Amino acid sequence: MGKVKHNSLSIWGRMLLYLSIMGPGIITANVDNDAGGITTYSVAGAHFGYSLIWSFIPIVFALIVIQEMCSRMAVVTGKGLADLIREEFGVKVTFYAMVVLVLANIGNVMAEFSGIAASADLFGINRIVLIVCCAVFIWVLIVKGNYKSVEKVFLVACVFYVAYVVSGFVTKPDWNVIVSETLKPRLQWNKGYLFMLVGIVGTTIAPWMQFYQQAAVVEKGIKLKDYSYHRLDVIVGGFVVNIVAFFIVIVCASTLFKHGVRIETAKEAALALKPLAGPYCYLLFAFGLFNASLFAASILPLSTAYSVCEGMGWELGVNKSFREAPQFYSLYTAIIIFGAAFVLIPNIPLVKIMLFSQVANGILLPFILILMLRLINNRRLMGDHVNTKWYNLIVWCTVVMMIALSLMLLMPQGIFQR
Amino acid sequence: MLNQQAESMFLFFSEIQEAKILDSDGFCLGRLYDILIEPIGKYAKAKILIIEKKGLPRSWAVVPWSVVSQVSKGCLRLNGKAREVIFAPLLNHKADLSIRRDILDQQVVDMNNQNVIRVNDIHLLMAEKDLVVAHVDIGLRGIVRRLGFEKFIDTLVRIFDKNSRYLQKLWLISWKHIQPLSINPVSMTIKVDVSQKQLNEIPAADLSEIMLDLSQKHRVALFKILDITTKSKLLCTLDFKEQKSLLEEIGEREAVEILNQLPTDEAVDLLSELPKSNVHNMLRLMESKNAKMLSTLLGYSGESAAGLMTTEYVAVPETASIEEALVLIKEKTPKAETIQSIFIVDQENHLVGSTVLRHLIIADLKDSVRKAAFKKTVSIYMEDEVKKIAFLMDKYKIYCLPVVDSSNVLVGIITIDDIFSRLVSIAWRRSKKKKHL
Repeated sequence: MGKVKHNSLSIWGRMLLYLSIMGPGIITANVDNDAGGITTYSVAGAHFGYSLIWSFIPIVFALIVIQEMCSRMAVVTGKGLADLIREEFGVKVTFYAMVVLVLANIGNVMAEFSGIAASADLFGINRIVLIVCCAVFIWVLIVKGNYKSVEKVFLVACVFYVAYVVSGFVTKPDWNVIVSETLKPRLQWNKGYLFMLVGIVGTTIAPWMQFYQQAAVVEKGIKLKDYSYHRLDVIVGGFVVNIVAFFIVIVCASTLFKHGVRIETAKEAALALKPLAGPYCYLLFAFGLFNASLFAASILPLSTAYSVCEGMGWELGVNKSFREAPQFYSLYTAIIIFGAAFVLIPNIPLVKIMLFSQVANGILLPFILILMLRLINNRRLMGDHVNTKWYNLIVWCTVVMMIALSLMLLMPQGIFQR
Repeated sequence: MLNQQAESMFLFFSEIQEAKILDSDGFCLGRLYDILIEPIGKYAKAKILIIEKKGLPRSWAVVPWSVVSQVSKGCLRLNGKAREVIFAPLLNHKADLSIRRDILDQQVVDMNNQNVIRVNDIHLLMAEKDLVVAHVDIGLRGIVRRLGFEKFIDTLVRIFDKNSRYLQKLWLISWKHIQPLSINPVSMTIKVDVSQKQLNEIPAADLSEIMLDLSQKHRVALFKILDITTKSKLLCTLDFKEQKSLLEEIGEREAVEILNQLPTDEAVDLLSELPKSNVHNMLRLMESKNAKMLSTLLGYSGESAAGLMTTEYVAVPETASIEEALVLIKEKTPKAETIQSIFIVDQENHLVGSTVLRHLIIADLKDSVRKAAFKKTVSIYMEDEVKKIAFLMDKYKIYCLPVVDSSNVLVGIITIDDIFSRLVSIAWRRSKKKKHL
C-alpha cells in the first residue's frame, strides 16, 4: 500500500500527528524527577549554589541519546527490552538482571512513598492516611485503567511540574549569574562537589527508565514511518525534565545557598524555603514533591512487573485477569504494598534504603547500557536501523562516562562510608 | 531395567549446551554451540551440529549430525578426527531452523492451547543415532534448570512438600503442536514447518488472539503464511486498527486478493476505514464486478442499510417450482451469508416475496415458490438507519431483511449479526451515560 508521505501534510497536520504520538518520551523523562531526584537537586542547589547547573547541558544530551536508542528498538522490533535481552542473551543474563532490577526498584518505590510521606507532613495531613490512599489509588489506576487513559493521567501529572518553574521565578534569582555559570562552568575539584555531580547524573539516568520507555512505545504501537515525530517526543522530554531540574536547583540556590542553610532532604528544603521565599513558594515546592512522588510510584511497580514477566515469559498485562497472569499481579501488588508498608514502619532508616537502591541502580546501569548497545547494533534485529558509526562513537563515550560515574557513585558510598 | 534405559534416552538441551565435543581419540575440539534441526513429520531431527571454539576471535565449525557417535550429558563424541573439522570466524545459517536462535528463549505458538509461549528449555530424545526434538519446556523448572539450580531447588522443595506440583508436573508441550516464529530474512515470512496446516485449522477468533500477543513484525510474517481463506476470516475478526496496519504491510496486490474473498459487508467496512487514495487504487485492481458493487456501497454511510448489507444472498425467480428453487439454493449455498431466508424476484430482480428454507422443505415439490412465500414481505431501503432495521427485525421477529433500492430492486440483505455489534455499542454507551447521570 506504500508509505504515506507526511511531507504532504500541512503544518497543523504534522502538529496533530506529533500530539497523537507524544507521551512515552515525555512521561519517562518526567518520572525521572521523582522524590530522589528532587532531593538531589535541592541539596545540590542548597550546598553548591549555581555552580552545578552547567551539568544539565551534557545530561540532556546523554539522556536523549540513550532514550532514543530504546525508542528505536521498540519501534523497529516491536518488543520490550526484557524480551530482547531474553531472546538474545538467554535466561541467565535475564534472570540476574531482573533480580537486581526488582531490588533496585523496590528501593525506588520506597523512596517515592517516603516522598509522599514527606509531602503529607508538609501539608499537615496524617501520613498514614495519605500513603494508604495513594497506594490504593495507584493500584486501582493501573488495574482498572487501560494504557490510553493512564497515559492521559500521566501527561496531566507532567503539567504539574510547572510548579517548580513557577517557584523558580517566585524566588527572583539573579539571571546574569545563572547564565554565566551555565555557559562558563567553574569546576571545583573537591570530593563533595564531585560526589554531588555524580548524584545528579545518577538520578537522571536510571535502568528502569529504559525498560519503561521501550515498553510504553511498544504498547502505544508507534509505526516506523511516524518515528521522526516520536524522536521529537524523546527530545522534548529530555529538555523538559532538565529544565524542571534546573529550576529546582535555582530555587534552592537563590534562597537556601544565599543564606547558608544546610539541608539533607526535600522536606527540609521545603521547610527552609518557607521563611526565606514565602508561603507560596513553600506550597508549590511541597505540591511538586507530592506530584512527582505519586507519579513515579505509579509507574515504577508497573514497569518492574512488566519487565520481569516479559523476561521470564509469564503472562502479563493489565487486561488479563489474575488467574491468567498471577505472577504479574502478585509482583505488581507486592511491590506497592512493600514500598508503602516499609515507609510506615516508625524509625526506619529511609536515607540508608535510598542509598541501597541507588547502589543497585548504579550496578545495573552499565550492564543494561552495554546490552542495549549490543542489541541496537545487531543487524538481524534492527536491519538498517542500527546505529551509524558516529552515533555509536557518541553513545560509547556516553556509556563510558556513565559507567565511570556510576562506579564513582558506588565507591565512596559503598566502601568509604562504612 | 528397560524403563531405566528408556529414561536415559531423554535429555534436555540445557544438559548438552556447552557440552565438550571430543573426537574419536578423545581430543577436545570445542563446545556445543547450537544444533540445526529439520522438521520430519511430527518431529524435528537434528541435522547439523555447530561447535564453538572459545578464544579471540571466536570461531565455529559446522558438522553434519551423522558424525556424532555418542551423546551423553556434558559430552559428545564424534566419529572423525579433530583435524578434519574446519573452524571459521563467521557463522552463517540464516535459512535453517536453529535451536539456539529460533526456539530456545523465543516465543512460539502452542497450537494445541492456542496461545503464545516462551520456551525455557528443549526436551530431546536420542533414538538410535538420531536426536529428535520431542517437547519444549515452558515451566518454571526449565528456568531453574537453565540457571543451574535444579538440584538445589528440588531438594529445597522436597523438604517442604514431597508431592509438590513443582516436582510432579512437567510443563512440556509436544513438538508437533509447536509453531516457531522465527522469520526467514529473505521472504520475511515465518519459516514454514510441516505443522503449518495446523495453523490454518485454528479458529479465526483464537488465531486473532494469538496475533495480538505478537510483535507487529511477527504478526505480518505469520499472516503471510496462512492460506487465503484463513487470511480473510482472520481479518474479519481483528479490529479496525489492526486490520489497517496489516493491510498496509502486506501490500496492495495481496490486500486486493483478500478483499475479493471477503463478504461485501466486511469489505465495505474495511475499505471505509482506509485513506481515499488507497481505496481508489485497490478498487482498480479488483475484479470489475466486485469493484463496482463496492464503490457504490462505499458511497453510503456505514450506519445505513447499504453500508451494512452484504450482496451474498439467495434469490429464486418467481416462476420456479419449489424443486427448482431447492436446486438453485444448493448451488448458491457456499457463497451465501445465510440460506435461512430465501427471496423471490421477478426477471428484473424486483423483490416480489420472501420465504424461509423450512417452508420450502416441507412444501410440495411441484408447487410454485410463490405458494411458499410469506403473506407480507418486509423490506428496507438502502439509506435506512440501524435503528429502523433493528426496530423492524424486532417487530416482525425476522433476522434477515432484504434491502431494495427506490424502484424495489433487491440489492442485498442485512442479517442480525451485521447490526448486532452496532446495537451493542449503542446500548453500552447508553447504559454508561445513565450511570453518569
